Amino acid sequence: MDTEMKPASKFPLWLKRAAGGAACAALTGAAVWYDLTYNGGRLVYPMHSYAFRTTDIPMLAAVALDVLYVLYLAYLIVRWSRAQKEHVIKTGRTRRLSPKLGFLGFCGFLGFAGFWIYGALGDLSGFIFFAFFGFFGFFFEGKMSNTLMDERFKENAAKAERKAMRTGFGIIFVLLLFAGQAGRLTVELVAPILVAGIALAVALTLFLSEYLLYRYDHDDAAALEEE
Amino acid sequence: MDGFTCNLKTYRVRKGMTQGELADIVGVRRETIMRLEKAQYNPSLKLAVDISRAVEAPIEEIFVFD
Repeated sequence: MDTEMKPASKFPLWLKRAAGGAACAALTGAAVWYDLTYNGGRLVYPMHSYAFRTTDIPMLAAVALDVLYVLYLAYLIVRWSRAQKEHVIKTGRTRRLSPKLGFLGFCGFLGFAGFWIYGALGDLSGFIFFAFFGFFGFFFEGKMSNTLMDERFKENAAKAERKAMRTGFGIIFVLLLFAGQAGRLTVELVAPILVAGIALAVALTLFLSEYLLYRYDHDDAAALEEE
Repeated sequence: MDGFTCNLKTYRVRKGMTQGELADIVGVRRETIMRLEKAQYNPSLKLAVDISRAVEAPIEEIFVFD
């Protein structure tokens, strides 16, 4: 029998992955500097038509590396998600998550960049980032990580989801009523309010379904109040 | 919950079981058994039957509805 074991690595895997990302970012930064200094910044500033030059290679290589890194991260997320799904089916327990994932909710503040993007480019997509506020729900999902999903849990989950959906759809309905007044307002004003409002309604629905489930499951008063 | 009395604790203690042991037998969480004993949760028919079998007591004596 082979008893030889691999020596344990000095650095944890997450640190190696983060270092890979940092290296990609540093290489991209260096490539941008090279392009601005020795290539006239032709790959940094917008261009109308492209013709390959050998001096473009550092920038193209850096971008290719970034794409590979993003694909690797996407692969890790898909693999993790499949493992979680299998865990749920096999054990009848909730996903194993860290409450620290709730910090991803701060990405929702990127939605405020939507005002600048809309002003400068007329693009509404920046407002979609407001939906990331919903990731604050991971804080409560993480607190209920690996919990046995018995009938009371499932009942509470359905109740929480129903209430969250009702709230979210209520907000969207009010927004639609507002959009219906577009004749009196300019479309330039209604469109960003509608996109930002729907993104926030999605975030609230995602957050509320986890928050209410946690409350119903842990808070006696809340559970009785709902009966 | 109004109009619902649960005598589960009496029968469970008589059987010498802890809340955790009963929870494992019937496949729910200990917190669910705790809520049941406080009459704060109305169980499904399947869970009620499983509990009745686990504590070897008639279902209508464990869960009493007015």
